[in-house]
This record gives sequence, C-alpha cells and structure tokens, in this order.
Amino acid sequence: MAKLTFRLWVLIIVLVLSLLAISPSFQKGVIVKSVSINSSSYEAGLRGGDVIKSINGEVINTKEDYGRVINGIFENVANETKITIRTENKDIILFTDQIPEITVKDIPSTKVKAGLDLQGGARALIKPTENVASDQINDLVLVTRNRLNVFGLSDMAVRAVSDLEGNHFMVVEVAGATPSDLKELLEKQGKFEAKVGNVSVFTGGEEDIADVCRNDASCAGIRGCYPSDGGGYFCNFAFTVFLTESAAEKHAEVTKNLTLDDTGKYLSEKLYLYVDDIEEDELLIGAGLKGQVTTQIAIQGSGQGDTQEEAFNNAKSSMNKLQTILVTGSLPFSLEIVKLDTISPMLGNKFTYYLFLAGFAAIILVSLIIFISYKNFKISLAVLLTSFSEVFIILGFAALMKWNLDLPSIAGILIAIGTGVDQQIIIVDESKRKEDMSLIQKLKRALFIIAGAYFTSLVALIPLWWVGAGLLKGFVFTTIAGITIGVLITRPAFADIIKKIEK
Amino acid sequence: MGEGKNWHDKYYKLMLIIPALLLLFSLYSIYSFYNETGDIFEKDISLTGGTAVTINGEVQIAELKDFLFSKNIDDISTREISDLRTGTELAVIIETKLSPEEIQPILEEFLGYGLTSENSSIEFTGDALSQGFYQQLGIALIIAFVMMSLVIFVIFRTFIPSAAVIISAITDITMTLAVLDLFEVRISNAGIVALLMLIGYSVDSDILLTTRALKSKTGSINSRLFQAFKTGMTMTLTSIAAVAAALLIIYSFSPVLTQIFSIVLIGLGFDLLNTWITNVGILKWYIERRKIN
Repeated sequence: MAKLTFRLWVLIIVLVLSLLAISPSFQKGVIVKSVSINSSSYEAGLRGGDVIKSINGEVINTKEDYGRVINGIFENVANETKITIRTENKDIILFTDQIPEITVKDIPSTKVKAGLDLQGGARALIKPTENVASDQINDLVLVTRNRLNVFGLSDMAVRAVSDLEGNHFMVVEVAGATPSDLKELLEKQGKFEAKVGNVSVFTGGEEDIADVCRNDASCAGIRGCYPSDGGGYFCNFAFTVFLTESAAEKHAEVTKNLTLDDTGKYLSEKLYLYVDDIEEDELLIGAGLKGQVTTQIAIQGSGQGDTQEEAFNNAKSSMNKLQTILVTGSLPFSLEIVKLDTISPMLGNKFTYYLFLAGFAAIILVSLIIFISYKNFKISLAVLLTSFSEVFIILGFAALMKWNLDLPSIAGILIAIGTGVDQQIIIVDESKRKEDMSLIQKLKRALFIIAGAYFTSLVALIPLWWVGAGLLKGFVFTTIAGITIGVLITRPAFADIIKKIEK
Repeated sequence: MGEGKNWHDKYYKLMLIIPALLLLFSLYSIYSFYNETGDIFEKDISLTGGTAVTINGEVQIAELKDFLFSKNIDDISTREISDLRTGTELAVIIETKLSPEEIQPILEEFLGYGLTSENSSIEFTGDALSQGFYQQLGIALIIAFVMMSLVIFVIFRTFIPSAAVIISAITDITMTLAVLDLFEVRISNAGIVALLMLIGYSVDSDILLTTRALKSKTGSINSRLFQAFKTGMTMTLTSIAAVAAALLIIYSFSPVLTQIFSIVLIGLGFDLLNTWITNVGILKWYIERRKIN
C-alpha cells in the first residue's frame, strides 16, 4: 500500500475536524424554544434552551412525545394539576390548569444549522426612515435585542447590516415558530417607563429623557474597583441621565413624601425600570434626591467577580444594559419594515430531502460520465470521494462558524461542487497529456489554471457580500468557503491521488 | 506555413460569424425588450417589491384566479409546488404587488380559513429595499467584471487573449439574458446571482484554453487547441449533466433553485459556443498573426 502524502494527510485531518464540528448528536429530549413571559412555566424557572428529558416520569424523546404526554395530562383534568418537568439539570414543578405556554423542538441531530428557508421562522429587515449613523443602528440593535430577550426566544439573531449604498439596516431573525406580534413589536421602538412604587416618573422618548451619557468618561464609566469582604472583587459604575424639566418636576413631586430606608442613605421606595411593561431592573434612590427638582440624575450600580477584571467587565456590561434600557424609546428616528418573511416549517423536511437527492444524483452522474470518458474506475471513484469530502468540509466549516444554511447557501455549495469537478477534470487531463514534462510539472500547470479560475471567481463574488442588506451573504459565504477549501485542501490532495493512479 | 491546412484552419474565422450574429440578435432582443417594458428584463417581486404567499396544501388554482379577478386583482402570478414522486400538489405560491395586509384577508376569504405561520409562508419585500437591491446587483455585476478582467490580465499579461476570455464571459451572460427575455421569465434576485455565477463557469474553460494555447510548447497549435477542447468539453458536459439532474429533481419544489439552475444550464450551453468558437477563433487568429509578424 502506498504511503500517504502530506497533502492527503491534510485532507484526512480536515475531514476528521469537520466531523467533530458537525458532531452528530444522539442526545434524547426536546429543546425549549420559547417560554411566554409571566407564564407559570417562566416563573418556575423554565427558560429557552432548556432540554426537557421527562414529564411526570414519562420519558420525552421527541416533539411528538411531548405533545402526547402534555395532551394526556390535560385531557381529563379540569382543575390544577401538578406537573414535574425534568430537564438536564433541574426539576421544575408546576401547579396549573393550563397547558404550559412554551414551544419545543426536537434536538437537532447535527450542529449544522438550517436557515429560515429550511426550518421555518421569521425574518425582518428594518430600516430607519432617515439616514442614520452606524452607532445609532447599533443602539437600535441593542435595544431590540433587549426587548426580544424579554420574550424568552432562544433562537433569535439581531444584527446591524449595511449595503453597497451605505444604508444601514437591522436584521431580526427568529427561527422556528414565529410570535405573531413580531411585526408590531418591531415597528415600534419599545416602551420604557421608570416608576417609583406604582407611580410613573418618566418614560422613554425625548419628552422625558433628554440624553443618556454614554461613551463619555466625564459622565459615565467605572468609578473604582475594590476587594469584597467575602473574597473576590466588585466594581462600581455610574452614569448620568439628563431629564427634561417636566420629568424633573415629576420626580421631585413623587419623591418628596418618601421616607428614608433603614440605612438612611437611600429612600424607602426604589426606582423600577420597565421595558414594554416588564420589569427589567430596580435601583436605589439616594437620600439627597428626595423632593429635588434635578435634571441630572446619576445612576449607580456595581458588578462582582472573582477577579478584578471579571468584576470590571460585569460592571461594564450591567452599565451598558441599563444605558440601553434608558435609551429605549428615545432613538431619534422612526422605523420601517422593508422586508418581512414568515416561513412555515412544514415543507422544510421534504425540502432538505430533495436537496440531498439532487446533490447525490448530480455527483453520481458526474462520476459516471468521468468513468465513461476515462474508462478508469479509480479516477471516477477519486472524483466521487473528493466531491463528497468537499461537501462534508463545507458543512463542517459552516457548523464551526455557526452559519445558518439558507437557500442561497445551498445554491452556493452546489456551485462550488460544480466548479470543483471541473477543476478535477483539468488535473486528470493535464496529468494524462503526452508532453515533455514531468508529471509534477504537469500537475503544477493544472494548479496554475485552477488558481487563476479561483481568483476570478473570488473577485466576482466579493461585491455580492454587501448587496441588498446582506441577503445574499449565505451564497457568498458557502461559495467562497467551497472554492477556497477546494484550492487549498481537496485539489492538491486530488492531484496526489492522481499521481499515484498514473504512476 | 502552406502545408496541410485542415478544415478548422480554413473556416475558423468564418465560424466567428455564428456567435457574432447570435450576439447581435441577443443585443437586439434585449434592446427591443427594453423599449417595450422600460427594463432589460422582467423583474419578479424580489426586485420590484411585493408579497409572495405560499399556502401549504391543495388549492384550486383556477378557481383562486377567478376569485381574485372578481376582486379586481389581476396583477398576480401563481406557481405550484408538487411532490416529485406522487405529483400531488403540496403548496401554491401567489405573488402580487399588494402588501400582506391587503392580500391576506382576500386569500382567507377564498380559502375559508385563516393563514397562520403553520399553514403558510408570507414573504414581503418593500419597494425601498427592492429598488436598492436591483441597483446594487447592477453595481456588483460591474465591479465583478472589472475585478475579474484585472485578474485575467494579471494572469496572461497579453491584451488580446485576456480580452477574448472577458468577451466570452460577457457574451455568455448577454445571450442567456436574451433567452430569458424571449421566454419572458420573471427574474428574481437569485436569478441575477446565477447570471453572475456564469462568470465563474465561463472563465474556467477559457483559462484552461488560453493556458494550453499560450503557455504550452508541445505539439502544433491545432493539437493543443484540440486537447483543450477535449478537456473543456468533458468539464462543461459534466456540469450540464449535474445541473440538469439537479434541476429535474428540484423543478417541482423550489422556484428559487429552479431559476438558478435553469440560468446556469442555459449559460453553460452558450459557454460551449463561446469558448470553442468565439474564444478559440480570436485566440487562433492572434497566434497566427503574431507568428507572421
């Protein structure tokens, strides 16, 4: 048996790494996709991403099991009943007369993520109605992410994108079943309200909040880190919120009748921050603010950690979160949904099946044609194996990058495989030519042609990345990944295989 | 030279007339399409803005169309998605310029049930986005061509052979577009990407041809061209077979992939012509003139 060359070893190692990246999972159970906020399940501690193993002792392996068991429990029970949900790491006990307001899905068998086109879900592309700077879009993304998190959605992505003309957009993708109120949720910026006790003091928007100090060290930042008594560290942060005159007067009105708490440093009522009517945070109000008409209030808090660095980072992220909450509803632009797709998950499975069938048929047919034209079983087999390894490595890479494979991505894989086969034919033909050149020189020239074709395809693809707010990114990603893997890994390995066959 | 001129030596310049005429005809039909419609091809709703509603399950398409006509909605198009093996209708896609809020109640009235995220998909593209999309795809196409031309010139460092490769790619795309216009295909954003990808498929065989013709020293020019022709034919024919097989399977299921594969298939067909008549012709002409001078 011939010795394996360096390039073949590279191919084998990359294939193994791809397998690890894809890593088929044999875990049983169902994943919680979303939990309705304020539902009994949410209060009992169930969260998106939890894996349900059993309910009332009955093992749950699939979504169907879940439906059967839950329906069984509620079929003939009219009053409150006890449900014990066992997840991977906790038991959740509910007393309820209603079906838990959660959605579940089967545990994916691989780490390759199917995009919205294949597994269903909703995607919205949102554009501010006027031109905005990129940091304003980032604010919008933070605010939106914050608000959607409140919904307990686990499979959700919010990000800023821009296009060739410099327009900024925000993309929101929610996989799986879609909350029907997504559109309403997105078209408005979100409602922010601060209350002392039950009384509203100020709300988000320019009426009440003039400005929130951020990224300005003079009025926002970490104000010091100290060792805690029980070991570890804590860091204090503070930032200034500028209120309008009317909000400041309201604040004075509400706080003037409050008493001091036990320590004497703070007022007896706290300031509660609500986003979309859901409490997000509470803050102590300094005694000095009692009854004061002040347009500048300092918000303080702290973060803890085992090391000083950890405490610093925690304090910083708490501060950012609070700043984002306060900015909610006060972004100086309105929003327009320029694209909204809600895709039913029903056809997804069939679709994946057809795609595999199409890819499989294409590769088999190509190997057959190569067998007929070269009358060489080994070459045909080599083409077949190389093409399959290429698909496998692309999928592995996509899993590693946590890329969602949508329809354009799949088209990209097919295109990459197509050009891959073409280039393998070039290698075979170059090696077979009757020329006064060594086999190695011939293969070098084949790789020259391939590199040329690679760079032309690459530069043709790159501009597409930014077209139409990144809707074609999937295509660009898999095609570039595919042809790059081809040029760097599979083509050189294939050349070595041919060298061995031709010898 | 004199000795043993074969048929190709005699006729290759004359053969260039075939692609030249086809190109002229293509440009003419694109131009007349432009005169008629104000655009060089018919855009689907992903490029004009509008709504595509996919209803899972069987829907009586003819009755649905009559119903929509009775509501004075005539600017719609429908497509069926069916199971490859059984041929049963799995879903129907309705495309319209109306917004989801306008079309959904009308469809629900016809169906007699509500459209939910379980039984239907609704894709809406706003005017602002689709306009930008269309313009940017145009810009991307131009940038892609400029960059590709630069790479080709860097590879071959001679003007005419490089130009021949680029001309062949442009001609592939132009002829394919003319065919799409002829059949009045509504092109989606995916379709434009497919046109762009023709560049990739096209230059593969052209670079092979030019490298073999210019950088190889063995054999006569004719034998080198013929060797390249054999390799290139295998390449393009396997691609055609693969794309055709995939198209056959996916045809009834995904309009997006169907359009991508159809365009690549048409383009590959023209690529045979443009590589082995246009590019070979220009290249051979160039090599012979260079030898004379």
